[in-house]
Amino acid sequence: MASNAELIKVTGLCKHFYNGELKALDGVDYSINKGDVVVVIGPSGSGKSTFLRCLNLLEVPTSGEVVFKGVDITKKYYTDKNGNKVRLNIDEHRRKMGMVFQHFNLFPHMTVLENMTLAPIKVKKMAKDEAEKKAKKLLKRVGLGDRADAYPIQLSGGQKQRVAIVRALMMEPEVMLFDEPTSALDPEMVGEVLEVIRELATTGMTMVIVTHEMGFAKEVGKKIVFMADGKIVETGSPEEIFDNPQSPRLQDFLKKVL
Amino acid sequence: MFTSAGFAKTWQYIQLFKEGLICTLSLSALTVLFGFIFALILALMRMSKIKPLSWFATCYVELFRATPMLVQLFIVYYVVFAKASLPNFKLFGFIRFERFFPGVVALSMNSGAYLSEIIRAGIQSIDHGQTEASRSLGLSSRQTLFDIVLPQAIKNILPAIANEFVTIIKESSICYTIGVQEIMYAVASIKGATYRIAEPLLIATAVYFCLTFPTSKIIAYFERRMSRGFKR
Repeated sequence: MASNAELIKVTGLCKHFYNGELKALDGVDYSINKGDVVVVIGPSGSGKSTFLRCLNLLEVPTSGEVVFKGVDITKKYYTDKNGNKVRLNIDEHRRKMGMVFQHFNLFPHMTVLENMTLAPIKVKKMAKDEAEKKAKKLLKRVGLGDRADAYPIQLSGGQKQRVAIVRALMMEPEVMLFDEPTSALDPEMVGEVLEVIRELATTGMTMVIVTHEMGFAKEVGKKIVFMADGKIVETGSPEEIFDNPQSPRLQDFLKKVL
Repeated sequence: MFTSAGFAKTWQYIQLFKEGLICTLSLSALTVLFGFIFALILALMRMSKIKPLSWFATCYVELFRATPMLVQLFIVYYVVFAKASLPNFKLFGFIRFERFFPGVVALSMNSGAYLSEIIRAGIQSIDHGQTEASRSLGLSSRQTLFDIVLPQAIKNILPAIANEFVTIIKESSICYTIGVQEIMYAVASIKGATYRIAEPLLIATAVYFCLTFPTSKIIAYFERRMSRGFKR
């Protein structure tokens, strides 16, 4: 399932705010391979979300490289296979990366179905009925087959987040980025969303998940990344990170959250 | 002050009020249309990352909000269109285009400045997460603006736009000073013909009131309805 092809390679990634007064990311290096399920944990303000948002350039890094499928997407131009200099169109790369947000960010003026079919129709030029068929199939898969014509306001938080996930899946992304997908949910709704992500993990989807759910991180994560103060402090398998933490920073963090 | 003889005399010229009403309505409708398009462009310019564009739009808005409408109207009519020979046909068989058109231009330029601030506030009121979600799906900034941000922004500012429409109906009366045959022009004509002023003014008041009062009531109704269900 997991081939070792490198999908995203991040080098020397820095993101500074307020003219460098706040270093949200302070030199991060990491590679994500196809089929990886990477879970990023760490205390608030450690730069987890900023790291994730830099991967699809929602946050423009101050310095460093984000190489996605061999193209450095932080630069304005790149060289293609034939050696030609090409102007980078960030939208083309973003559509291969699905993103799920803490606050769902569904479009409130559109139905669930419209939310899901907008990008495939507009961006991929998919036929409308084809897109709708696909959307309904995905909705059924996450147990929302009967809510296609509902507006986001009529859904519960857990339902909204499930819609947000399948909306991203509609574009058939090569990697899914989850930015604290359960942090804004009522406790009883966390399970249904994690269940969808868990199922997605079994399909071999490459995923990067920022989360505070340690149990879930341990269960679903194939690789755990622990961040603090804008740096990656420790990486490893769930067993290594949770059962045998090396750095005092991680030991301290786990003591507080577990 | 008001005499029945005065009303009788005024009534002979009621046709002028009918024409005035048509003129005021077309003046206002065109102003809202052009003013809105212009305002949208101004708002986008003002929020643009290209400095000269946002600088120009800011100056324009500040200038037009800080000077009297009458001055703007006179500059447009007597200066800008002084040398331009506009076609002198008549709309609906009576509205003199060469006066009507500068009136529309001046009113649109003025309301464009006010409306652009309303639109800008509307766009900025939309949660940034909407833009992020749209961009993360691969939609361009242009598609994001027209498919995601503007539909929500305009729904939010619809009451403010409608209020601007009411304001324009009232402000359009100023165009009588350049000879546009709207309602106040009818008053002036009847005064010239009959030496009566109170009765025509009373009728003009009634006509304006009948135009604006129901409009603002309808707006209030929709405002209440919209804030009920759709808002997040």
